[in-house]
Amino acid sequence: MTMTKEDIKYTGIKVENVAKGKADWYLFNKLCKSCYLCVAKCPVKCLHPIEEPNKDNSELGLFETPVVKPDLEKCIGCGTCQMTCPDCAIKVQRK
Amino acid sequence: MANVLEVKPDLAQAQCAEVGASKFCPGCGHGTILKTLAQVIDELNLNERAVFGCDIGCSLLSWNYMNIDTVQTHHGRTTPVIYGVTRANPGTVGIAYMGDGGGLAIGSQHLVNASVRGENMLILLANNTNYGMTGGQMSPTTMPGQVTETTPYGRDCSITGKPAKGAEMIAAIADPEKSYVARSTMGNVRGLKKVLKAALENVANGGFSFVEVLSVCPNNWRTNNIKTLERLKEMEEFFEVKEFITPAKKEEV
Repeated sequence: MTMTKEDIKYTGIKVENVAKGKADWYLFNKLCKSCYLCVAKCPVKCLHPIEEPNKDNSELGLFETPVVKPDLEKCIGCGTCQMTCPDCAIKVQRK
Repeated sequence: MANVLEVKPDLAQAQCAEVGASKFCPGCGHGTILKTLAQVIDELNLNERAVFGCDIGCSLLSWNYMNIDTVQTHHGRTTPVIYGVTRANPGTVGIAYMGDGGGLAIGSQHLVNASVRGENMLILLANNTNYGMTGGQMSPTTMPGQVTETTPYGRDCSITGKPAKGAEMIAAIADPEKSYVARSTMGNVRGLKKVLKAALENVANGGFSFVEVLSVCPNNWRTNNIKTLERLKEMEEFFEVKEFITPAKKEEV
């Protein structure tokens, strides 16, 4: 049986209510390769690599390198990181 | 344990979800270009008509990236394979995907003849100014003064000649009536999307399209995220980013 898009489960990080509650920010850590192009492209410089990742691998990417996380206060929910990411690892869902 | 998210990544229909992450290096430009191409195929509803061919080099790692019919060909021979497909099955939208080595070095004979004849296909060339898969050697498009594995003191144009400019060459020889020739950059994803949309629309209407996309190679350039984008800016100044021939605009006049 071939798997469809609906069967696949993605693990990752959820940051709720960025940009004053206008959007939710998601990162799928089995897709993130920690290239940090999103960090360089972010217009308000709110994305940062996680400095001390959890020991349970929930904050490590595909190659076991730290993934990124936005500052809740600074993020404006523009979606530039989603557009920049070469591997579709980031999703900004506007409410 | 990592928590399972209730949402799915924003993958296009033309992108293969079951293979997981793509096979490219971190930060590779191929991911951005193919992601945008898949979105454009979705928007133009070409999923059933499109045939994707990939070349040898880093671009062959896209063999399981797309959720459309894919063929992987010999080095530089993506162009003849794809126009063979489109000639045998009229109505097919052929997409030949190659790097600067496959398109402008070993495959330039096919590129020249396909563009002169105006074959009904899209040639998509990702230009990252070196041979990525074999370790970053000098390619025809390496910029003057750029350090690569085989030019450790920077490319000296008095010995190696000037860099090849693919889009200018094709614009000079392609049929202006039904060709679309442009150069775009992965630094401007919205602009890239617009260019790919115009190119695929032209192919769907029976024309020939050539798009050269300036891409990045952080692994072989040995650059971090910020320096990669700075190098991309230098490339955008050296290689002119614009549309060279647009058939649609001529019809309006």
